[in-house]
Amino acid sequence: MMNDHPSNPDPVRPAIQVESLSRRFGSRAAVNAVTVDIASGISTALFGPNGAGKTTLLRLLSSALRPTSGQIRIAGKSYQDNPREIRRMIGVISHNSYLYDDLPCLANLEFFGKLYGLPNPRQRAEELLDEMELSERAQDPAGTLSRGMTQRLSIARSLVHDPEVVFLDEPFSGLDPHAASVLRTTIGRLRERRRTVVMVTHNIPLGLKLSDRWLLMNRGRLVDQGGSAGQDPERFQEIHFRKEVAS
Amino acid sequence: MTSGQSKGTLALTGLVLIAMFVAIWMVFQYVPNERVMGPVQRIFYFHVPAAMITFLSVFLLMASSITYLWTRNKRWDRISLASTEIGLMFCTLVLITGPIWAKAAWGVWWTWEARLTTTLILWLLLAGCLMVRGYAQNQDLGARLASVLGIIAALDVVIVYKAVHWWRGQHPIVFKSGEKNPLAPEMYTTFMYCIGVFMALFLLMMILRVAVLSLEERTQALAERRTGELS
Amino acid sequence: MTGAGFFRAAGVLAAKDLSIEWRTREGLSAMVLFSLIVLVVFSFAFDLATIKQLGPARLVPGILWTTLAFAGVVGFTRSFQVEARRDSMTALLLAPVDRGALFAGKSLSNLVQLLLLEVVVVPLSAIFFGYDLFAILWPMSVVVFLHTFGLAEMGTLLGAVAAKVGRGEALLSTLLFPVTMPLFISAVKCTNAVLDGKELSSVSNWLLIAVGFDLLFLFVGLLTFEYVVEE
Repeated sequence: MMNDHPSNPDPVRPAIQVESLSRRFGSRAAVNAVTVDIASGISTALFGPNGAGKTTLLRLLSSALRPTSGQIRIAGKSYQDNPREIRRMIGVISHNSYLYDDLPCLANLEFFGKLYGLPNPRQRAEELLDEMELSERAQDPAGTLSRGMTQRLSIARSLVHDPEVVFLDEPFSGLDPHAASVLRTTIGRLRERRRTVVMVTHNIPLGLKLSDRWLLMNRGRLVDQGGSAGQDPERFQEIHFRKEVAS
Repeated sequence: MTSGQSKGTLALTGLVLIAMFVAIWMVFQYVPNERVMGPVQRIFYFHVPAAMITFLSVFLLMASSITYLWTRNKRWDRISLASTEIGLMFCTLVLITGPIWAKAAWGVWWTWEARLTTTLILWLLLAGCLMVRGYAQNQDLGARLASVLGIIAALDVVIVYKAVHWWRGQHPIVFKSGEKNPLAPEMYTTFMYCIGVFMALFLLMMILRVAVLSLEERTQALAERRTGELS
Repeated sequence: MTGAGFFRAAGVLAAKDLSIEWRTREGLSAMVLFSLIVLVVFSFAFDLATIKQLGPARLVPGILWTTLAFAGVVGFTRSFQVEARRDSMTALLLAPVDRGALFAGKSLSNLVQLLLLEVVVVPLSAIFFGYDLFAILWPMSVVVFLHTFGLAEMGTLLGAVAAKVGRGEALLSTLLFPVTMPLFISAVKCTNAVLDGKELSSVSNWLLIAVGFDLLFLFVGLLTFEYVVEE
């Protein structure tokens, strides 16, 4: 159903190229000279202790935050030159729902569809509600949904324009089991359809399971990276988070 | 600040100090009484230069705000903050000296006269710029918001002046273009001298304030690096 | 495929805001109630003899515009509270639309809400203070629209500033009222002329100030909104 969506004419798979990217808050560098290539069409998990700069990096990549210095290129394009083209390609799932509580579910999705300039926002909104099993709540205000349902609607919202690149910021925190399983299915489907997924998470077992590669950050710097396949979560944690356990 | 720079600043400080004393002597001793208004007219030698500096600060505020938003170079924000503060200070001086003169000349402390009203509104606009900086969660945000407000304030003050002028106008205009200079030569000399001194004072305060701001930033950066190393 | 165009995005955003307002009626009902209270308070502030003596032409302009400005602050604040609740402002910034379009959309929805408020408040003022609104409906509408336009755009821009530093009505009022002072003076002058039965051409100076303010700060808002809302 999502595959033949009309708003997907670009056959070029975007890869994210990050070059000496820094963001300072005052004089503190939350992200410090990070250089990394994120391969297209695969899922990448971003690990690191609290305050490592994972969320800041993700917000920089999604242009929610302006870098102090450095370059981000998505599908070879930079935010400075083609901000709207890049924003059209990316979707963000965060622990904030980004929804309007007073607006019905359908109207919420329709609004974002229109903002992204979709040809049939209404139809797309209905499709997504159906996919997230929220059709019967279409006319209820988003504020009346349970937390899990809200999260599902929030996922639908971020996928309304069928983005090529999806950023997830701690998507599993505070989810009920049903919403978590919907999210896992969603990520699985994104991977099947060769979307680029970048996910920040504390949950190492789940992060490794849902990713092809992992990146590790500490104190604003990228310290290690590797493939996720065959990694044992417990050993992974032991090797890479030893310092944190000790302190 | 390098030692060469600080030597220069020290020399300028001394120069301004001496010049200020000379200005006070000129205003109270050298210049004759004005015929109609009497001794109170002497306040003009401070009031008018202070007003000029205020509007110069606003102009500088606008220029540095635009440049900061354009380049994101902290140096411009320091200038913008310094011009807001110095502008606010001279604006306060104008608002104090104005009513003192008005009480003697017009018999009231305050009158909703065009320039006085404009100055009052300008004071509120500048105070707003500083207030937003104080409320902002971090310096970058404060700098950005204050720059936007600075641009608005500078543009607004032109419209405010035009509006208030049409609304009410009774400010004494000493110099009118195309008219013969009505001032006695001593008055003219003193007046021009005072403007020069105030300009020098403005320059000095600007240099010092910008230097202090940049030192503050460096200290803060060092302190934060130290906390980072300790943790 | 780069998202909705400028005018379409602005329209979509404004329609969304108005749709939320239509469903909850929280903002507008608060504004109407607030205005009603202010009008009543004003009629107690002046005793009946004063009201009779001054007549509506000298009394109503000040009361009306003070009421609208204060009620506007309530609306502008709410306009950004709606976006702050679930951080949907971030979603708007992530969308492929021009930041200027976000300013235009927010301003438009604020303008429409203020105009709806005025549809209630202006006739109320006619009833409370006894003037014939129907006789001056056309010039009154022109005056109200031109001045509300500037109030809405400035309220939107400064409302975003206040929301960004997490302050509500208090900060917005202290920023908004000095900046909109020329607009306010013009609004009072024009309304006064209209209530006196004069032609609009008699206040063309003031209308020029209003239009100048509207256009200048529309331009400034479109250019600077980005710096206010970005992180």
